[in-house]
Amino acid sequence: MASVFSGAPPQSGPGYSFKQTPTEAPSGTRQHGFYPYTDNGGSTLGISGADFTILAGDTRHTSGYNINTRYAPKLFKIGGEGPDNKGASIVLSVVGFAADGEALKERLDTIVKMYKYQHGKPMSVAACAQRLSHILYGKRFFPYYVHAILGGLDEEGRGALYSYDPVGSYEREQCRAAGAAASLIMPFLDNQVNFKNQYVPDSGSGHELQEKPRTPLDQNHVLELVRDAFTSAVERHIEVGDGLQVMIIKKEGIMEAFHPLKQD
Amino acid sequence: MGSPFSINGGACVAMVGKDCVAIACDLRLGMQALTVSNNFPKIFNYGDVYLGLTGLATDVATVSDLFRYKVNMYRLREERNISPQTMANLVSSSLYERRFGPYFVSPVIAGINQTTGKPFICGFDSIGCIDFAKDFIVSGTASDQLFGTCEGLWEPDLGPEDLFETVSQALLNAVDRDALSGWGAHVYIIEKDKVTKRLLKGRQD
Amino acid sequence: MEVLLGITGKDFTIVAASKAAMRGATILKASDDKTRALNSTSLMAFSGEAGDTVQFAEYIQANIQLYSMRNSMELSPTATANFVRGELARALRSRRPYTVNLILGGYDKIADKPTLYWIDYLASLAPVPYAAHGYAQYYCLSILDKHHHPDIDFEQGMKLLRMCTQELKRRLPIDFKGVVVKVITKDGIREQEYEDDVKVAIP
Repeated sequence: MASVFSGAPPQSGPGYSFKQTPTEAPSGTRQHGFYPYTDNGGSTLGISGADFTILAGDTRHTSGYNINTRYAPKLFKIGGEGPDNKGASIVLSVVGFAADGEALKERLDTIVKMYKYQHGKPMSVAACAQRLSHILYGKRFFPYYVHAILGGLDEEGRGALYSYDPVGSYEREQCRAAGAAASLIMPFLDNQVNFKNQYVPDSGSGHELQEKPRTPLDQNHVLELVRDAFTSAVERHIEVGDGLQVMIIKKEGIMEAFHPLKQD
Repeated sequence: MGSPFSINGGACVAMVGKDCVAIACDLRLGMQALTVSNNFPKIFNYGDVYLGLTGLATDVATVSDLFRYKVNMYRLREERNISPQTMANLVSSSLYERRFGPYFVSPVIAGINQTTGKPFICGFDSIGCIDFAKDFIVSGTASDQLFGTCEGLWEPDLGPEDLFETVSQALLNAVDRDALSGWGAHVYIIEKDKVTKRLLKGRQD
Repeated sequence: MEVLLGITGKDFTIVAASKAAMRGATILKASDDKTRALNSTSLMAFSGEAGDTVQFAEYIQANIQLYSMRNSMELSPTATANFVRGELARALRSRRPYTVNLILGGYDKIADKPTLYWIDYLASLAPVPYAAHGYAQYYCLSILDKHHHPDIDFEQGMKLLRMCTQELKRRLPIDFKGVVVKVITKDGIREQEYEDDVKVAIP
């Protein structure tokens, strides 16, 4: 009985679109259940720096305990041209229900493209961020079941990062983890990116204690943190693994990299 | 009312270092969202062994009292302290005795075996299944967060001072992302013939 | 809408309990005493399910007094609190548990310090500087968080209690008919006069 309380992995989490087992006896009326949502697991993470933004996401795609594929990207370039999204300067990451994520990406991509064609200039991240919020809120009563993170560079060329809940509440942040392993990654990021709970040695006690000043992090250092965060999450979360897709947005363009993760 | 494990809240973590171990807990006691006490330690000492208990507060008290009784009886019979390994088996069998009406606790053990001089940590589920770990053990409502911070910060063969910093940062940053844990912490650094207990101030929200 | 409050200071513990005995929305009595003295330095205030409260309190009272008679000494407030918790915890896993919330005020004559214990119906025990049960928790703990200090004298303690009861009068939707106030010091337990019909301004 206790093992029930102490939480076997999918407590109420992973499920399927269609009920696998009948809930009623074979006789009598047959009931069919359709659940429009599935949790496809995975995790994403974004960190913004002085002149860059890094977004990352694992590429495992799951349903319950099954791995559907080991390579399903969660990071999408928005507003680029052609099959390679040339010239894009905004990246959207989505985690949660992958089909909704894909649909959301298509919608935002189209909107950002149309903006460019109509106005003859690319959309700013701030505008794109607000537009994304409106798209999400537009489906307030049948939401896109995703936790989105949008990354790019703001008008001053600084790294910009926006995170969203499924119904469009959004906020610009320094860093954000989302998805299945968000609870594992986020406190680590608080500590290593925003230096939470770190103080200047011998700076006093109680309220005199000086917080360690937040300094803009170097790109390679941030990349190391991202890879550390994911290798850690892979160790302890079954829905995270297989591969790590990373995009670095700089004024020169978007660099994309792929790092293998453990497949167990 | 939700799971009995998350009514009162709380977090505990144990880590292995080089010839030392650390165990730490938060200090909150709550009833759902209401904080009742900010001085409710969850680590209990039994000679050479330290036991951390998270979960339902009433069972934390009952189980810690029960083991005080059992360990005292052991010491009287054997005329020696209980070793961490023996304590682990005592905890396991005592919890399994209540297999179909368990104590809603997630115990963590840390200590140094005085015969071998080797560090020892382990954790349990509420019915006594032992988790022998070489690195760290986490428990409580912030266990997800603790897994993240420990996996990210811990490295092998840390000395006592570095282990203190590691376990403290792992706990403080984890409980700051859990509404049911926090309000300061107790940290024990256990070496062969020295134990250092420190009280950490944390965020008061 | 039962109110239990406890406040410690530098040499005293104040325990207050509402005087209304309620059944549903009906007030059966307006001079109920929801406290029992366990010995000369321990006082227990209780709230919860109708029959359980007095039954449990008097069972505890009898056993603590029996201990005093058998051993020609009184159990310390800490020992009393742990005994009470033990009995409540034992009952919790029995066929019919007691649904009783408790506040245990006391004065430890050996440590020469006031004590206060918060115990809920699950038998969670916490030593605290100030305590409340029921709806009073939501109204009073924040007031006490702001204004309480461990070294306040008795007058300041009573002022704090007044702030709490005024807030309760102001915000609770049902009249709890004022409070019985008991004070535990090194000299024992005494009942404190308490003016219940002080006007409160309701904005």
